[in-house]
Amino acid sequence: MKALRLLSAIAGRLALCATLLQPAASQADTYEVKLPPELATAPRMCDYAPCKDVIPGATTFSERKGQPWYVEAYKDEAGQKKLLGYVMLSTDITDIPAYSGKPVVTLIGMDTAGKFTGVKILKHSEPILLLGIPESALVKFNNQYLGKFVGDNIEIGKSRPEENLIGLDAITGATVTVIAQNQVMMTSGSEVAKQVGILKPVNRPQARFPVSTATPSWADLVADGSVQRLTVKPEEVGLKSDGRPYMDLWFGYLNQPTIGHAILGKDGYDSLMGRLKEGEHAIFIVANNSMDSFKGSGFVRGGLYDRVQVRQDKDGFTFRDLDYVNLWGISAAGAPAFNESAIFIIRGKSFSAAYPWKLVFLGNKIDKETAAKTFANFDREYWLADKYLEGGRPVVVKPDPTWLKVWKDKVVEIIAFTALLLVIAAAYASRDKLVRRADRKNKWPVNAFKYTGWVLSIGFVGFYAMAQPSITQVLTWFHSLLFQWKWELFLSDPLIFIFWIFIIVTVFVWGRGLFCGWLCPFGSLSELLYKIGQAVGLKRFQFHLPQALHDKLKWVKYAVFFGLLAVSFFSMGLAEQLAEVEPFKTTFLVGLFNRSWPYTLFAGGLLGLSIFTERPFCKYLCPLGAALAMPTTFRWFGLKRKDECTSCKACAKGCGSLAIDTKGNIDQRECMLCLDCMVLYYDDHACPPLAQERKRRDKAGQPLTPINGKGYFIPIHPAPANTKKEGAAA
Amino acid sequence: MTIADKNELRHPPYDQASGFGWLLAELRDHLWPWAGKGQPARKAIQGAGFALALAATVAWVMAALGHLSAGAIIGWWFGWSVFEVLVRLDAKPYVKEGPWWGHLYRRASVMDMLCYVSFKNLLIGAALFIGLKSAGILQL
Repeated sequence: MKALRLLSAIAGRLALCATLLQPAASQADTYEVKLPPELATAPRMCDYAPCKDVIPGATTFSERKGQPWYVEAYKDEAGQKKLLGYVMLSTDITDIPAYSGKPVVTLIGMDTAGKFTGVKILKHSEPILLLGIPESALVKFNNQYLGKFVGDNIEIGKSRPEENLIGLDAITGATVTVIAQNQVMMTSGSEVAKQVGILKPVNRPQARFPVSTATPSWADLVADGSVQRLTVKPEEVGLKSDGRPYMDLWFGYLNQPTIGHAILGKDGYDSLMGRLKEGEHAIFIVANNSMDSFKGSGFVRGGLYDRVQVRQDKDGFTFRDLDYVNLWGISAAGAPAFNESAIFIIRGKSFSAAYPWKLVFLGNKIDKETAAKTFANFDREYWLADKYLEGGRPVVVKPDPTWLKVWKDKVVEIIAFTALLLVIAAAYASRDKLVRRADRKNKWPVNAFKYTGWVLSIGFVGFYAMAQPSITQVLTWFHSLLFQWKWELFLSDPLIFIFWIFIIVTVFVWGRGLFCGWLCPFGSLSELLYKIGQAVGLKRFQFHLPQALHDKLKWVKYAVFFGLLAVSFFSMGLAEQLAEVEPFKTTFLVGLFNRSWPYTLFAGGLLGLSIFTERPFCKYLCPLGAALAMPTTFRWFGLKRKDECTSCKACAKGCGSLAIDTKGNIDQRECMLCLDCMVLYYDDHACPPLAQERKRRDKAGQPLTPINGKGYFIPIHPAPANTKKEGAAA
Repeated sequence: MTIADKNELRHPPYDQASGFGWLLAELRDHLWPWAGKGQPARKAIQGAGFALALAATVAWVMAALGHLSAGAIIGWWFGWSVFEVLVRLDAKPYVKEGPWWGHLYRRASVMDMLCYVSFKNLLIGAALFIGLKSAGILQL
């Protein structure tokens, strides 16, 4: 307990320091704010939310209504209430998470013509908006929606009038956040617009069913997809397991005669179809052994079943008490037992069984720490098999998932970046050839690749693509691995995704040096400044720390890494704040002169120091470097050493990374793979044992044989007399 | 080889084995931190190590039975990992040098052992954690 208290106190102190150092944080006034609990449930939502801010001129508001919820906004006009528009809370409608994994709680206003009138962020958990990018950037982004029609095709990126697509300017460095926010805006707006009649439902051709006498069993129906299962685990809604699923639903479409007969029997099917009017559809749902009821508290919310609905593309279909029919039993052989059942009638005319649809279970996720409920939905797709549709399934073009759209939009950058990584990796893999062509005075065969890597990583990867890897990604991965892994989250930033695959592979093959020493944008900038300093006459001011001091200070970065990792278990938000020890956001994402002075001073100070000493941040502070150094212990292929290296200090003297110890061994965790020592290794004028041998052979008049892979001249052995041959010749 | 000083190289008892036998010996070496035949160890550390390993195993079993929270099992695993570093530094003070399929080993510094144990146990822990979570036993 004492240790915990101590850690908590340290975390508190660190948080205080972080807060004092971050004036920008004070501007982030909706970051993780505590919202009134009534906001999520109270009928009079606008008593708890600034609804007037998102629909100018409104004076009164209705209670929550509809499914999903919205509020009507009125203004007084000559004593009469005139409908001005609608206000919706995004989390009443969708649970789309942003980069943090949590939704951005947004209040949205829309007029009666379906145009957005206001957007207000009530709460967000986006670390980048807390520290890197001012929250005003998200406000500015949201303001782009004002006056735009909810039915328009609005996406992030450039407008494409030929495709009827309206583009919105993204927030540089927060792509995932704005993509999620766009989905939130458009989903929320169109859900309400459809309910109030602004957006008309899509008319889909109705399905026609072939005649069949088959009577499939339950197992057959499950196998061909005619019956689907939707399971929600207790942990997915924040509950403790008692061995049962929170919700375990079997469902299927009943109008199809073969399926309907199998589920209801002939009489039941005929009776049900007799009740349905043209264009109406029936589905069944059964549940067994679930922790909760799928019918839920339906009649509390104005006669609506508020836990299940059907969605087809963008159209939603909800059920009222009049849409409910009892289901007494299932005829299909082998059907499971159930303790809750229902037949629901879909009355929306746009629904068509020929096209895929989803059963959606609408749940609430309970936050374990705060006990606050957040909206969460779970769905399962259903599409009749070819054999149950006359003419088979129609062709349906499904929209690309968001991450795929991002990949398609950035295809040129992705190709260029991948090419850069492959070229650098290929160059490094050919290091033996390159270092043999170089010598102590001319290292260009190696440096041409390395310097090209630096320049491109600084300009293209860092400043242009903002793909600087960061320790926050490692922490996010670590937590995702333990808590909830979402590929979409990582795929949404393609360059970072590709970079990490490259980093992981190369760390195990060659060690962290290829990334840190050749491709890290900040590391490259840091060393480039050092080289420029050298070139412009500052060499006499440049210095390395004494080896003994370096050997102590190098541990600081590991302490920083483990500190961040430990803090992240208590508070990911605090860990994200403390990760500002990396000056990457300031340098590449936001810009040195776009942040408050403590950040600028820190990043500028490190870069300034880099002119005089090589890579001070990489050597002593970088938590990412520390995280990568640890697996580097097991890299497969290291640099070469000779027996003489134990006593000869030639390489150690020239090692900018101070990675060669007194015994001549290379500390692979500290090595940046600059290859300077490898150039010396083959240089018969610089490597003392080689130079000595060269001089000896010169003196003895012996030829200089090629240098072998072990870094020595190939020995000269007198050729043995070939007596056999000579004998034969004689 | 990054090692210049050949005195740094080590030879575990099984380094002359080959093929499947060597792979099995490697696996055992990764999973069994205590000294084996031909490896010296202090009995006190070995005994305490056995006790703590037993406690860590009980913790995992409790987690598998749903009686231990995620935080507690992470705590236990971390505690055991720290102790495993001490045990290995005493009983098996070497780490692999070069590719995993190679037969070269070197003397392990404290940092080498920290890196080795933390990385190995991260992989083992993640596998067990994901396994228990997938089985619906462990909740987060």
